[in-house]
Amino acid sequence: MTLISDLQIAAPEILLSGFALVALLVGAFAGDGSSRFLRAFSTVVLALASLLAFRQVALPPEAAFGGLYQTSEFTSFAKGVVYAIGAGALFMSGGAVRRDGMERYEFPLLMIFASFGAGVMLSAGDLMSLYMGVECLSLSSYVLAAFLRDDLRSSEAGLKYFVLGALASGLLLYGASLVYGFAGSTRFDQIADAPYSIGLVFGLVLMICGLAFKASAAPFHIWTPDVYEGGPSPVVAFFATAPKIAAVVVFANVLFSAFGVMEDQWALIVAVLAAASMLIGAFGALNQNNIKRLLAYSSIGNVGFALIGVAAGETFGTSSILVYMTIYVVATLGLFGGVLAMRRDGKNVELISDLNGLSRMKPALAIALTALVFSVAGIPPLAGFFGKLMVFRAGLQADLLWLVIVGVISSVVSLGYYLRIIWAIWGKEPAAALDPVDFGVGVTVVASTVITFPVLVIWIGGLINATSFAAAG
Amino acid sequence: MQLIAFYILSTVVLLSAFLVIAARNPVHSVLWLISAFFASSGLLVLIGAEFLAMLLVVVYVGAVAVLFLFVVMMLDVDFVELKQGFLNYLPAGALIALALLAEIGVVAAATAAREASGFDPSPGADTNAEALSRVLYTDNLMLFQLAGLILLVAMMGAIVLTLRKRPGVRRQNISEQTNRRREDAVQLKDVRPGQGI
Amino acid sequence: MGWQEIAALIVVFAPGVAAAVAGLGQRVLGDRGAMAITTGLVLAAAGAAASLFFPLVFGTHAEGAHHETLVLATWIDVGPIVADWAIRMDTLSIVMMFVVTSVSALVHIYSISYMEEDPHRARFFAYLSLFTFAMLMLVTADNFIQLFFGWEGVGLASYLLIGFWYKKPSANSAAIKAFVVNRVGDFGFALGIMALAFMLRAPDQFLNPDGSVGADYLALLGVDKFSSVKFDTLFGAIRADALVQPFGAATAVPIQSVTFEFLGQYVYGLEIVGFLLFIGAMGKSAQFLLHTWLPDAMEGPTPVSALIHAATMVTAGVFLVCRCSPVYEHTVVAADIITVIGAVTCFFAATIGLAQNDIKRVIAYSTCSQLGYMFFAAGLGAYEAAMFHLFTHAFFKALLFLSAGAVIHGLHHEQDMRNMGGLRTKMPITWGMMVIGTLALTGVGLPAVEGLHLGFAGFFSKDAIIETAYASHDTFAPLAFWLSIGAAVLTSFYSWRLILMTFHGRTRADHHTFDHAHDAPVVMLIPLGLLAVGAVFAGGVFYDAFVEHHNEAFWAGSIYRGEDNHVLHERHYVPLWVLLAPAAAWVSGLLAALYFYGLRAGLGARIAASGGPLHSFLSRKWYFDELYNFVFVRGAALLGDLFWKVGDRAVIDGLGPDGLTAAAKAGAGGLSRLHTGYLFHYALVILLSAVAIGAFILFGQGRG
Repeated sequence: MTLISDLQIAAPEILLSGFALVALLVGAFAGDGSSRFLRAFSTVVLALASLLAFRQVALPPEAAFGGLYQTSEFTSFAKGVVYAIGAGALFMSGGAVRRDGMERYEFPLLMIFASFGAGVMLSAGDLMSLYMGVECLSLSSYVLAAFLRDDLRSSEAGLKYFVLGALASGLLLYGASLVYGFAGSTRFDQIADAPYSIGLVFGLVLMICGLAFKASAAPFHIWTPDVYEGGPSPVVAFFATAPKIAAVVVFANVLFSAFGVMEDQWALIVAVLAAASMLIGAFGALNQNNIKRLLAYSSIGNVGFALIGVAAGETFGTSSILVYMTIYVVATLGLFGGVLAMRRDGKNVELISDLNGLSRMKPALAIALTALVFSVAGIPPLAGFFGKLMVFRAGLQADLLWLVIVGVISSVVSLGYYLRIIWAIWGKEPAAALDPVDFGVGVTVVASTVITFPVLVIWIGGLINATSFAAAG
Repeated sequence: MQLIAFYILSTVVLLSAFLVIAARNPVHSVLWLISAFFASSGLLVLIGAEFLAMLLVVVYVGAVAVLFLFVVMMLDVDFVELKQGFLNYLPAGALIALALLAEIGVVAAATAAREASGFDPSPGADTNAEALSRVLYTDNLMLFQLAGLILLVAMMGAIVLTLRKRPGVRRQNISEQTNRRREDAVQLKDVRPGQGI
Repeated sequence: MGWQEIAALIVVFAPGVAAAVAGLGQRVLGDRGAMAITTGLVLAAAGAAASLFFPLVFGTHAEGAHHETLVLATWIDVGPIVADWAIRMDTLSIVMMFVVTSVSALVHIYSISYMEEDPHRARFFAYLSLFTFAMLMLVTADNFIQLFFGWEGVGLASYLLIGFWYKKPSANSAAIKAFVVNRVGDFGFALGIMALAFMLRAPDQFLNPDGSVGADYLALLGVDKFSSVKFDTLFGAIRADALVQPFGAATAVPIQSVTFEFLGQYVYGLEIVGFLLFIGAMGKSAQFLLHTWLPDAMEGPTPVSALIHAATMVTAGVFLVCRCSPVYEHTVVAADIITVIGAVTCFFAATIGLAQNDIKRVIAYSTCSQLGYMFFAAGLGAYEAAMFHLFTHAFFKALLFLSAGAVIHGLHHEQDMRNMGGLRTKMPITWGMMVIGTLALTGVGLPAVEGLHLGFAGFFSKDAIIETAYASHDTFAPLAFWLSIGAAVLTSFYSWRLILMTFHGRTRADHHTFDHAHDAPVVMLIPLGLLAVGAVFAGGVFYDAFVEHHNEAFWAGSIYRGEDNHVLHERHYVPLWVLLAPAAAWVSGLLAALYFYGLRAGLGARIAASGGPLHSFLSRKWYFDELYNFVFVRGAALLGDLFWKVGDRAVIDGLGPDGLTAAAKAGAGGLSRLHTGYLFHYALVILLSAVAIGAFILFGQGRG
């Protein structure tokens, strides 16, 4: 293995980090005036990285940097989605960034670093590189959450995220060091070969806790609503999508590849986390009036559904995790586009009641949001339905009937608050008019709606096929 | 002999760590922290990792702890008030701590008496600085670079969140100062008595 | 990719593109642009379809028609259920493609003039093209799922077009009625597909270790990939009588012998599938018991009636039965049900046609009746004859509808024949077209002369069916034969009655309307003329290919007949009187009509006015609407009331939504209280959870 071939294997991350370093220099010398240019450029680079990552899917799994970096179809696919969604989030952030006074060149670069961190942790073949990726993602996220530094809520969100995130990182690190101590290695494949010991299990438990925090699975979800509510909307749109799928897939990847033989030990924990997430996601959202807070609970619930796929294990769950999360993050990006579009008299508004009568003010946006909400709620024939179908099927194949029943019940309960949004859009009298929608937001919402319905509905077979590999590998 | 040193140093570490959180005066807390760092570096010396021990003293005692001290002394926070709530949460916190301790105890008991036999503090090299750098710059090159990137992100974060450009701030410009000549600064006027300028 | 494939792609996707462009871009394009694009693209599709169809009839007999399936993309691939987006190009599909696109193109042209004054023309044309696209998806499907997609697509387009004049309450309710009645049929259809997917499963001994189907089994079926919803897999299995092992069954059984327990009896699986699929066909093709929506559908614009409710969509049921000929060749009961329902419909609808006064409703019942002919022909095993009648009927029935449309157009939307009469002098061309259509419908021709093909289109196809009914050995064949002869008499009577009431005698139209009556503009007459050509020649020209000497080469296996099914051949040996009977039927019908509405003009009206029980029975359509209203609508309302008050409100709401809502509210409140916003609370929760999970693993699992 030469360095050159290592770099080739890690091409998407090399591209991102190299670009970020150059762009940082450009920004530092050219000042904030270059931020628009850098934002556009960053979007393109993320999209390119996405293409490179999807290209990895087709290649055979490879290891680089002495096994620290490890590609597989499962994680490369997720990485492609992460970068593409990151590009989408950056693309639609333009207007909001400009108006809310976030027009600084560090903004796109932090998004790049966050995506980069997500990519590194997805491709980690070793506990150390996993931790590095997690930290890179987390640190960037903390700063992004507090990016509106003069806004009290944003600062509070950043601080809370930081402190709790540090706690979770501590748990993760403690767990990792226990695993290292008892397995004698930090490499996933060598951990998998290590003899069973109670210390290994305990390390695994602590690592699960740390990773569950990053994926905001209950009961480690507790930071999510506050951060989503307080963080700047374009940033939250990013949080709820790209890192989310990355965290869930990393969760699955670590459990499958390093702890596959201990499935009996962790399957039940993951199932409990899934059930708790689904229930808390469903019930917690019922009383919310703030749409960002509501979407935070919705994302907790949806992580729960994806964790059904994780609990189902590598044989049954892999494809369903990717299908579910892909469909979910695409729709969620569009929904946050809707949140970005909610501005009245130049100010952001974010109550559900601010959507009142949207169907009469902006029919196209109303239709798009309705389709996206229904998709996230899992109503046929929208794509989200197939996602839920896939995870439920995986759950049933793995004999997790009780978990599937909990899932169905939470789906029904969560309909309650999804319908509140729909009712506000279609059934209520219009409030004062909303400001015109930014171009980038409009394009992103339309694109995510079209992908949700009908593209992914028609190509659902293709998507399932494209993600049905890991059971073999 | 080593065993005695180990127990003394460990006791100091644990005691200092407890006093960090128990001390009423935050300045004392930081001082206890420094004490804990010192004792830890002693532990590292005991297992032959002199390089790490030195790093701990230089970086943590020399830089981090001093920085903490500055922050604590400069911030005007009423720590007494902050500590008010502490006792309220002590029972719950203690309970969790006990539970965690019990769990770790179980793990330790199940795997008791594992000896760190054949431990070589500097494999394949004379000094452990050399051994460390060999691993760091070859096998773990990627991690080293990643750590650099993370530090960069942290730096960016600090700048983003705190750096403010205020208009109208007077700054010292050294080149301007040194390039200043007499003609720029001094103007000679002939002032006639009784007339003013 | 040869011309065949390119042509097929044009045929299927040109109307789809037209619909999308005209539908989405109507504001940009304007009415004219939308009309030009849809009409142009559908014409292109018709041209491409003709280039596929005519070589099949005239050119390539020697080498045999070629059979291929153009797979565009995989849609669903879940275990044994694999469905592609595909264009299946066998004779059956190509015939349908030709019928659909050619009639659709003519209707598009006709509508340019017919809908001239409508403000929503662009929408209308977009719907028409959408319908055409969905119908083509239906006929080119290579699996039941795509077929179902097209099936629902045409249903949707039909709903939209019936209710096109949405400000008219009657149009709205007719659209809803059509939709609801079709749901009944579609439910059966969907159940049929599910039953099929349930039954058609490769036996365990043929499965590879990874769950895929073994190569020897695939070779037995003659397919590359196993899919329980694909035609080729099903038909291959039936032909080879392959072993199948339905889900949950312990052993494998040959597919023709698979049985299921149903209501305490054992029923053959194929019978169930065949019956359920036929339920779907009944709904779409408005057969007896599910026929009530078709006459009401006449609320839509007349071009719609011509295209959807005469020539194409309603024949989808016949197409489905013919497509599934391998199934029905191996069923007894299901095929008999088709025969009986078809025969009853052909007679029953004709009787209602006698007493209707709305010009379009008469033709609608006539359509219903002719569809009955097609069905019982298929039920008796003469699928080719059914398809032939479908083919000719498309032309002359579209001609009749469009001519009626010309009359309605000329009289400013007057549809009641009691307010017409004497229009022959005012609109001679329309009259001529109508007479040609009627001659074709009633089957005028020169029977019993070997080798001389002289007659209108309906003569060949209808007589072929009637002869088949006589020649068949089926238990219900005599019933079908006599009912079809009776229906032929009635058909002739009501058709000529329509001509006489509309065009002859003294006018009953009001003075002003009559004076302004005129022939339609030339844009409308061109399609009429082309359809008239079809109505005259479609029978004689294609007789050989469809049902005579060349039929084996022409169909080339796209229709399957069992080894002992020679009914199409045996019809040549029927006695002379059977050949003459249809001719006698139309002559007697014509004479009766002349007597009632020509010589003794006004007699018919007096009979109607006297309100005799027979007349009101017929004019109220055998009281079917009233019966359904009483049994289903009111019955459902009563039942619903019961369920609502007792079952739903007390039991389900109490325990379910209301109880659940209360629980959810309480839970949500609790969760909200948990979210204090204090950092140390959050940290506490996280640590507590971590410790709890650790304890659970360390202490809980050890014991459990």
